[in-house]
Amino acid sequence: MQHPPPQGDKPLLLAARDVTKTFDRTRALAGADFELAEGEIHGLLGANGAGKSTLSKIISGHHSFDSGEMLYRGQSIRLRNTRDALRIGIAIVMQETSLVPDLTVLENIFLPELGRPGRLDYAAMRERGRVILDSLGQSDSLPFDWKVRQLSSAQKQLVEIAKALGVGAKLIIFDEPTAALSPGEVSRLFDVMARLRETGRGLVFVSHRLEEVFSITDRVTVMREGRTVLKAHPTADLSQAELIRAMVGAELGAIYTEPHRQGEARHGPAILEVSHLAAQPQVKDVSFSVRAGEILGLGGLVGAGRSETVEAIFGLRPRSGGEVRLAGRDLRANDPQAAIRAGLGFVAEDRRTQNIVPDLSVKENLLLAHLGAHRGFLRGYQSRKRKVSELLQRLGLPEERLMDASMLNFSGGMQQKIIMARWLLLSPKVLILDEPTKGVDIGTRAGIYAMLRDIVAEGAAVIVVSSDFEELLGISDRIVVVSDGCTIADLPSAMLDEEKLTLLAAPRTSMAHNTAMLEHFAREHGGAGFWALVEEDRIICLNAVVANAALDPGFKAGEACVAAQTQIPRALSRREPIFVPEADNGRTTLLLPMRNSRGHDLGWVGLSLFPDAELPQPEAIKARIDSIAAAL
Amino acid sequence: MASTTAGAPMRGSRFKMLAQRLEVRMLALALVIGFCLSLLSPYFLTHSNIFNMLDQSVVIGIVAVGMTFVILTGGIDLSVGSVAGLTGIILGLSLQHMPIVPAIAVAVLAGGGIGLVSGLLINLFGLAAFVVTLGVMAIGRSLAYILSGQTAISDIPEGMQDIVYTNILGVPSNILFLIALYIVAWAYLTYTKGGRTIYAVGSNKEAARAAGLNTLFYSVLPYVLSGALSAVAVTFSISQLLSADPLMGNAMELDAIAAVVIGGASLYGGRGSMIGTLIGVFIMVMIRNGLNLMGVSPFWQGSAIGTIIILALLVERLVSSRASR
Repeated sequence: MQHPPPQGDKPLLLAARDVTKTFDRTRALAGADFELAEGEIHGLLGANGAGKSTLSKIISGHHSFDSGEMLYRGQSIRLRNTRDALRIGIAIVMQETSLVPDLTVLENIFLPELGRPGRLDYAAMRERGRVILDSLGQSDSLPFDWKVRQLSSAQKQLVEIAKALGVGAKLIIFDEPTAALSPGEVSRLFDVMARLRETGRGLVFVSHRLEEVFSITDRVTVMREGRTVLKAHPTADLSQAELIRAMVGAELGAIYTEPHRQGEARHGPAILEVSHLAAQPQVKDVSFSVRAGEILGLGGLVGAGRSETVEAIFGLRPRSGGEVRLAGRDLRANDPQAAIRAGLGFVAEDRRTQNIVPDLSVKENLLLAHLGAHRGFLRGYQSRKRKVSELLQRLGLPEERLMDASMLNFSGGMQQKIIMARWLLLSPKVLILDEPTKGVDIGTRAGIYAMLRDIVAEGAAVIVVSSDFEELLGISDRIVVVSDGCTIADLPSAMLDEEKLTLLAAPRTSMAHNTAMLEHFAREHGGAGFWALVEEDRIICLNAVVANAALDPGFKAGEACVAAQTQIPRALSRREPIFVPEADNGRTTLLLPMRNSRGHDLGWVGLSLFPDAELPQPEAIKARIDSIAAAL
Repeated sequence: MASTTAGAPMRGSRFKMLAQRLEVRMLALALVIGFCLSLLSPYFLTHSNIFNMLDQSVVIGIVAVGMTFVILTGGIDLSVGSVAGLTGIILGLSLQHMPIVPAIAVAVLAGGGIGLVSGLLINLFGLAAFVVTLGVMAIGRSLAYILSGQTAISDIPEGMQDIVYTNILGVPSNILFLIALYIVAWAYLTYTKGGRTIYAVGSNKEAARAAGLNTLFYSVLPYVLSGALSAVAVTFSISQLLSADPLMGNAMELDAIAAVVIGGASLYGGRGSMIGTLIGVFIMVMIRNGLNLMGVSPFWQGSAIGTIIILALLVERLVSSRASR
């Protein structure tokens, strides 16, 4: 029986009607509707606990459903397990990958076939793997013989996708695929998804991140409290506000409260000072300071060493050099207890493995850091009684839920708030949060931001590590960028946007190419080369190589300044592809824009020379820049 | 999973909440076993047999306290039996050179010292507790034989009997000691920083460390306690028998672990209680006593006990998975 096609011309791949599912005593789905056409990317949205994960797992065969109907290519289906799902062409790419870390990439791609009797034909597998990667446009990004353990998150995800294609999946569910990816990796993933869409496959994209939903999906379905509240609506007809309203069920207003940008006067003295901190191998040279009353963002790509940096500060990771001073006193390495007693708090990245103690009650989880800081033989819970009640009110958590036996019954957002409260109980001088909104729904996220604002308003300092640049820019007063284990920029967030932050955070391999190019220019012509972002009257220098000290442009890598205060104000204001002499005729400067193959603005490359020197052809310089940019 | 739930779970009645506690269910099981045995043997519930069973609970009960601490941190101590044997011989030899109190102190310190070595090896070098204590178990028994010259030391001073047979308000001192020990251990685990840390370490060591708890100290402490309590337990045995045998405490680790697990502790750590362990000890002792009263051959008793333990845990698992759903 053929199912009638949807409003578009594309045939329907999957239709789910009025699906319900109850776990134990909890109703996870109370009537979910969903449909997916061939050749579409369909966003599945909802706050935590809305049921989108449950629905995904029912479609992929992890769970069965209680009632309702599910049609796959017109046939009614009832999957008993994931193997059933894979056989008919339904695969899921999950946050926690289902890969075997100690097998190779190739073996993982063809994992479903390893169970079959008979000998494995590795040569044929290799060939088929090659074809799959070619079809994704990712021919060279996966070494087949590496163990999966050695791969980055993005590469693991690619293995998952290749694995799905290896069994001929027609329908692929991506469950929060961008959570652990850097912006560059996200855009590569979207390329892959777009290619899969072109081949007529149907993709479900489960995400919290609205801007990603808008950039990649064709239609969206929004769920709330186990029901579908917005079914298969074309994305283009929706505004961000409409989507949020559908997800939360109420108007939310701006999520980010505007950071305080009245300048530095209202911030107190530097309270935490980190100088030349190293923790081999990931952290090489990190220096920054944070002032009382300030939210400092620690930005960078995944793997840049941000989490490792804050763990080394707090004492969870051995340091190999540098110092940390809290309120003027040295903070000992490898001693979280001393750090806590000195006034430091730390919300680690992974809630389940680093924060929650599952066998202790909610109350004891809340009091865990108290127990760590507490001196004395007894547990001393009574002394915190009043503060606990106060905090519960702030969290909006009824007091009787404090006695709940397990944290795990709460939503991710509430768990995160309780972990934050664990530290607020101690009134820390500095609170460090590593990815505080990971896996937290949009409503609770606003609550967490408000909590951070309250903390700094009371005179504490907050350090936030986040891969979400939009979030980082939205909540921080100042941003320190870490790349490849080194701090490379320290700028007020008002001067930055996502694109600039991405450029600053670019890994050192591209920076190395760039430095080589600048050095080449500077040495060959005896001048000074730089790479910078130029705005109206301001400039942020990304990299600078000075071969002749007399031609120093007046700024260094990672610095921001007003164009008029540099040594090359004329060149910066003209921005023409010719050599522009300065007023005093002390130097002449060529400034050329740099764009990558996707047309993204990568800033400007400049070359300053003495006016009496032999000036090179601007076209020759431009060709060199373009060839470097293409590789970035 | 939290992220897939919508709405709060239903609240159970008071009785249901009580039934969800493992200790309560195990107490019910203990009562059922006691009732059955009292039907099978009229002698079972007599005053003298009840005191007899309490008396038999003392040695295994003391060892099970240390074992509970170790298992709460997610560890295991297989060496308790052989540490009891070795410290028993140390006590027997010490008694020939010094008065009773210092001799006992030497034995208890020796037991604690052995536990300290195991605990440090396990937690400083990240060795598996199972393997380290297995090694210590072999070494302990071997040293017990060597120190004793392969024979029992039987010239134990009569004064040792006072440790066991002094009655206070009609209750023998060893039973009073057991009760006091369980109350102290329970209070420690419930009301002190150290006790709560032991639970936190067993449940999630990384989170405990990140919250500033002294995870190393409280991971090692249970092994020290377990070794010291093995020596205390064997002191009571020797006081009753007036003889120190290198074979003492043989296979005691199995009874202790069984009692702790029957009492509801998780071998992964973080879950368990002193009350549960005490019930576990009573169940083990009752079964053994009942089988003896019924005249079951000692060769069959192992099979019977093993079967009952596995059945009890199986029923418990089936009941608990239904109760928590």
